[in-house]
Amino acid sequence: MAHLTLRDVRKTYGYMEVLHGIDLDIPSGEFVVFVGPSGCGKSTLLRTIAGLEEISSGEFRLDGALMNRVAPAQRGIAMVFQSYALYPHMTVYDNMAFGLKIAGLPRREIRARIERAAESLQLSPYLDRFPKALSGGQRQRVAIGRAIVRNPRVFLFDEPLSNLDAALRVATRIEIARLKQAMPGTTMIYVTHDQTEAMTLADRIVVLRDGRIEQVGSPVELYRRPANLFVARFIGSPAMNVLAAEAQGGTRLRLPDGGLAEAPFEIAPGTALQYGIRPEDLRPAAPGEAAAVTGRISLIEQLGEVQLAYLEAADGAAPLVAKLPGTLPLATGQRIALAPRPEAAHLFGEDGERLRPAARIAA
Amino acid sequence: MTDISHMPAAADDAVPARAPWALLGRAMLQALLVAIAALVLYPLIWMAMNGFRSNAEIFNSPFALPAHWSFAAYAAAWQNGVSQFVLSSLVVTGVSIVTTVFISAWAAYGLTRTTIPGQPLVVGFILGGMMLSPTVALVPLVRMMQDFGLYNTHWALILLYTAFRVPFTTFLIRAYMLDLPRDLDEAARMDGASEGQIFRKIILPLCRPILVSCVILHVLFAWNEYLFAMIFTNSPETRTLPVGLTSLMSKHGTDFAQVFAAMTISALPIVIVFFLTQRYFIRGLTEGIGK
Ligand SMILES: Nc1ncnc2c1ncn2[C@@H]1O[C@H](COP(=O)(O)OP(=O)(O)OP(=O)(O)O)[C@@H](O)[C@H]1O
Ligand SMILES: [Mg+2]
Repeated sequence: MAHLTLRDVRKTYGYMEVLHGIDLDIPSGEFVVFVGPSGCGKSTLLRTIAGLEEISSGEFRLDGALMNRVAPAQRGIAMVFQSYALYPHMTVYDNMAFGLKIAGLPRREIRARIERAAESLQLSPYLDRFPKALSGGQRQRVAIGRAIVRNPRVFLFDEPLSNLDAALRVATRIEIARLKQAMPGTTMIYVTHDQTEAMTLADRIVVLRDGRIEQVGSPVELYRRPANLFVARFIGSPAMNVLAAEAQGGTRLRLPDGGLAEAPFEIAPGTALQYGIRPEDLRPAAPGEAAAVTGRISLIEQLGEVQLAYLEAADGAAPLVAKLPGTLPLATGQRIALAPRPEAAHLFGEDGERLRPAARIAA
Repeated sequence: MTDISHMPAAADDAVPARAPWALLGRAMLQALLVAIAALVLYPLIWMAMNGFRSNAEIFNSPFALPAHWSFAAYAAAWQNGVSQFVLSSLVVTGVSIVTTVFISAWAAYGLTRTTIPGQPLVVGFILGGMMLSPTVALVPLVRMMQDFGLYNTHWALILLYTAFRVPFTTFLIRAYMLDLPRDLDEAARMDGASEGQIFRKIILPLCRPILVSCVILHVLFAWNEYLFAMIFTNSPETRTLPVGLTSLMSKHGTDFAQVFAAMTISALPIVIVFFLTQRYFIRGLTEGIGK
């Protein structure tokens, strides 16, 4: 059992504050993924949890016990490093045994644990090899094995797949998903900036930006109801289209270039807001239907099942993307009118926060 | 490939035209290397050879090979104090290797792996020790050693060799440790290793190439060091080889065979050490300084 509680956790390097007060609860057995752009503090947060970085202020509790000053090894936390950090002068067996020997476990117990872990990670044939004689994927598994044998309460991964090629990445991702099922009581925290990894592995995703939590929620929640523009743009690929809009009274919205759209709820006329629509929520407008956007297709990415149509953007703006059925006959240069599904619209205030029906009189 | 097949004539011409020059270049290079080797090795071999001859033979035909191999000069040298000097040198070099390399490695670990306030200053202070000239420090050091009661003991030399070699050795090891990935320390820390265990079980084994280089450099220094050895020792029991040889020469200076034999004995260990470890030596040195 391992329930993590972070309260107003801050981390400063010299005068620079990198984490600005993180509040987070992670229940036992949950698989949490930290995502965010590079330099937002994912690794730093993970390392403060591991105990490799001291917490500058705030509290970190594990099952209620204050961990701020507890040595890393005493926390019952194991970590898989991005570089794997295997000891190059030790065999695979010794790599896995290192922590157990230091903990003073009897040799028989050490051997039993390592053999069990090696079995489940298909490492048994490699126990006598040195890390340099292993492939990237095998090294990765050794790093995981080294963490498993310690029976940790919490498992930390810092971008464990970023050094693997695409195929191996998928295979190892599935491996990690299996691992999670095999260890239901173990809490896992996983850092990545790969969306697919985040969406497929996570029970909950924590989106970080500049040392602050932007939103915490299940993958579907983040996708369907992003709390602000940053999360809306960050989760989902291709990213959500965002257009400046103005409320026209009722649920009518005016988009640039005379486009019209429906809001899912009423908004005071004259309110300026940001209108977000995911590429897959756009479809060709039926004849006579009011189009949200019309434009010339500048590029088509045909993916077979679907195709991504990029509309020519007004100077400087990000091109608008629509995900359309792959069978639809389209050609670059063609003008197309697109209509959204009204319930799929995401509305954000000028401050970037999501608009909710309760806050409709924002003017 | 394709270019050559298009122009077979040109290719045929090119090969024999270039080959003699390449061959000549190689030959000249090899000749040069052989010449350099001869230049360096000949005096040493000459010295060792003359140790097997008698004084008369040396004077009659200095450059001849020994007519019959006589170990008399070697035996005489060995009995006339060289055995003592070898022992002293072994003790002083051996103990100061251990102290120097251990202190330096530990210091380098501290300098690269901990955050102490004013660390650049500490680094500067330690490395600044390299600038200190032994000659300048000589008089105060003599007084100190006399006060400590260490004058004319092996300990005096061990202490001085350690003190004067720690800065340079630390400098080399530190450069090497800076390049070792921090992840390894952190992984070990997660595994529950203490600082001492990280140092002993992770960092030291990984530093082996540079440690070997440092040992060799220290052997070269300590085995041949003359100034301190001459000032701080004055009895046959404490003298190391360089000073011992000088005293031998002043006593048996006319017996060249014996002097050559003694010199050969003193040079031999270092030559052997170097040949055994030269690969390590060069690798560790270039890796350490390279960055
Ligand atoms: N030891 C340090 N001293 C000073 N600043 C640091 C230190 N370590 C990290 N930082 C800063 O803290 C911020 C967060 O770094 P962190 O490594 O946590 O980012 P990240 O989210 O893991 O990024 P990435 O996705 O690139 O790994 C960065 O701006 C970085 O410059
Ligand atoms: Mg990182």
